[in-house]
Amino acid sequence: MSEPISVVKVRNVLLVSMPADPDDSTVAALQDRTLEAMSKYDARALVLDLSKVEILDSYFARMVSETAQMVSLMGGDTIIAGMQPALAVTATELGVTLGRTRTAMTVERALEVAGQPRGSAAKLL
Amino acid sequence: MELLHFLLDNLKEYAILMLDPAGYVKTWTPAAQRLKGYKPEEIIGKHFSVFYAKEDVESGKCERELEAAARDGRFEDEGWRLRKDGTRFWANVVLTALRDSKGDLRGFGKVTRDLSDRRQVEERLRQQSRDVMEMATVPVVQVWEGILLVPLIGMLDSARTQQLMERLLERLTETSSPVALLDITGVPAIDTQTAQHLIETIKAVRYIGAEVVLTGVRPAIAQTLVHLGVDLSSATTRASLAAGLRVALGLLNLHVAAANASGQAAV
Repeated sequence: MSEPISVVKVRNVLLVSMPADPDDSTVAALQDRTLEAMSKYDARALVLDLSKVEILDSYFARMVSETAQMVSLMGGDTIIAGMQPALAVTATELGVTLGRTRTAMTVERALEVAGQPRGSAAKLL
Repeated sequence: MELLHFLLDNLKEYAILMLDPAGYVKTWTPAAQRLKGYKPEEIIGKHFSVFYAKEDVESGKCERELEAAARDGRFEDEGWRLRKDGTRFWANVVLTALRDSKGDLRGFGKVTRDLSDRRQVEERLRQQSRDVMEMATVPVVQVWEGILLVPLIGMLDSARTQQLMERLLERLTETSSPVALLDITGVPAIDTQTAQHLIETIKAVRYIGAEVVLTGVRPAIAQTLVHLGVDLSSATTRASLAAGLRVALGLLNLHVAAANASGQAAV
């Protein structure tokens, strides 16, 4: 049993952190718990913290992009935060597409991005 | 004979000793003491496996060496050996079988040479050439706080683009830089595969939360890309590095202004 997912509401942003090596049931729980919390808190954005994650498989990758699409249907933005270089390489090899999902190097930065409306002048620092 | 002893005692880097046929130490010289740290009374009569690391002893390396020396007359090896205090040194070891006139095995001569210095120099040289090679293949330089520049020169093959992706991602994370300028001014030609690799690199950079600005897209390169049907619309591209740098600064909400009346440049 791997470490559980942490779901925290920060103002009107939902911060979801994935453990280092999530098993399939943890990954499956990601979607349910995220969507449930989105609706419960009426959050406007989801920050998905992947900074601890060390292994990405196709199932996990699909879950992430599906969840982002669902969050988008519920009117929220998704920002993926803190993806490590090795994970990014795997993601390209798996052909993961980001679509409308935004990314940030750190959770801190992602929370700032979440506060800005989409398409506003990007400010990366 | 006395001269020979004098020689054996004064050799600095060589420890010359004798083992009995079963591998127990029979003689010990001051040079051996200097090299390995044991006094004669501590080591004479001990098995020579005390000079080896635990995993070597367990794998039966000592017995194998004695067998090889007895069979072939001589055995040579280079590897880690232990001093009395447990520290390691890189040694060249030659075991020679000593046989009497009847051909019976009387023991072994063992010459151990400390090559730690040579190994360190070799290791340093190897590291330096690795660094230089890496720098020449994929140079990554920081041009501004938050902006890395990769000036690519020469043809891009798969191995090189793979290295580029890994190194760029690492450096971006290390320096927390949100923007990378990928300059292809010095790349003579681009084919579908190279373009695909570049697109993958741009994607990977985006996953970690940074942006790539592809610069140095010359007319010929622009033509090739369109004719090949490569879709780079998801990436920001510019013809010159200067234009790309402006985009990069813009992404960081910075702008360059001319020096004001007081003569101070403002950025």
